[in-house]
Amino acid sequence: MPLHFGPILEQWPYLLGGAWLSLKMAVLAFTGGMLIGLTCAALLQFAPLYLRRLITSYVTFATNTPQLVQIYFLFFGLPEVGVVLPPLGAALVGMTFNAGAYLCEILRAGILSLRSAELEAAEVLGFSRIQVVRYVMIPHVMKVMFPSLSNQFIIMTLGTSMASVFGVEELTGRAENLGAETYLSVEAFSVAAVLYLTLSLVATFMLIAHGRLMYRIKARLL
Amino acid sequence: MSYYDGRLLLTGLLTTLGLAVAGGGAGFLFGFAVALGRTTRSRAMAPLRAALFVYCLVFRRVPFLVTLLLVFFVCQSMNADLSTLVVALITTGLIATAYLSEIIRGGLESVHADQWQAVQALNFNHWQALRYVIVPQAWRVILPPAVGFLVMFIKDTALASQIGVMELTSAGKVLGNKGLPSMLVYGMILLLYFLISYPLTRLGRRAERRLASTRNH
Repeated sequence: MPLHFGPILEQWPYLLGGAWLSLKMAVLAFTGGMLIGLTCAALLQFAPLYLRRLITSYVTFATNTPQLVQIYFLFFGLPEVGVVLPPLGAALVGMTFNAGAYLCEILRAGILSLRSAELEAAEVLGFSRIQVVRYVMIPHVMKVMFPSLSNQFIIMTLGTSMASVFGVEELTGRAENLGAETYLSVEAFSVAAVLYLTLSLVATFMLIAHGRLMYRIKARLL
Repeated sequence: MSYYDGRLLLTGLLTTLGLAVAGGGAGFLFGFAVALGRTTRSRAMAPLRAALFVYCLVFRRVPFLVTLLLVFFVCQSMNADLSTLVVALITTGLIATAYLSEIIRGGLESVHADQWQAVQALNFNHWQALRYVIVPQAWRVILPPAVGFLVMFIKDTALASQIGVMELTSAGKVLGNKGLPSMLVYGMILLLYFLISYPLTRLGRRAERRLASTRNH
């Protein structure tokens, strides 16, 4: 089986553009998911019971059903009630919905790891509320959550490939296009795979560096 | 919903379960072998360790969909006349092996080094050491994340619909194309996935609680 990478590699700006879109989608969905997750995790601490039940069922539902089918539901199901989402919009809403649930779980675990004695000790030492958050809560919570958060971000970066199913031209979608134009699908997807690998390794490396510098978390690369 | 629609859904459900069980089973088997290969220490095994390391790295950092399409097109260009189900099975096996081998390796390495030395002192061979000392301690560490992985994995098999495997998501697409309301169809598909996945999640959580309390170091 002879391989011809030339025609695919010639198109590198096109593929890199796709990788850039993938990354942007991951960042957008992660940010949106973080907002949902923070709200839900905070509400789980003190909201009335019915609201907590609602949040728990959202988390249970979203984490136990495939993201692909959730986006199918948004993309093909919602137009029946008059809400028409473009492919990119549907993919982003679906990913955010999904990420919100996972991030809520992670953040809740982080909050639960805080002990009241720790906060009282800080108060006794004369820390102001902001100082307590800055010097006691965030360093502690981050140590618990940071590995899971990084992991979630990597999973989401790889998960953006799902959007190609709905015609979004991110990395996988563009590899599909190239494969269809040149009949070199194996080569096109190999290059895409290498780009995904690179993307996720770079993201991991940056996250680990960030964790080391900001929260003194010792994590190994790979 | 006719009788045939119901049958289609049932076939899809069984295919999804089959994909997950076969992929997960193969993943456990080969993953264990890969993990053992990676825990070797001798210098002669260094190339094997490097190869296994790259394998685990690549298959955990390339999206499921891309791996699936790659396997699909490679099979096609080699003129291997495989059904899409077999292609999906190969892919799930490859990916599950990579993920589960990392989980199993973590479990094996969580057993304290003293235990390995003690076993050597007792003159057990490598196989006996694993069988009687290491694995009985490691599986408590392995089981909870392995169940967690399987939950993720069942959901990932939904992507097999993209190469035309008749599993649950494909069944939903067929019913949608037949003109049934998409909201109803996909709502039902979501519910069916939930019914498979939720008990497993609960089981995983229970295993985690029960095994954590009995862990001794």
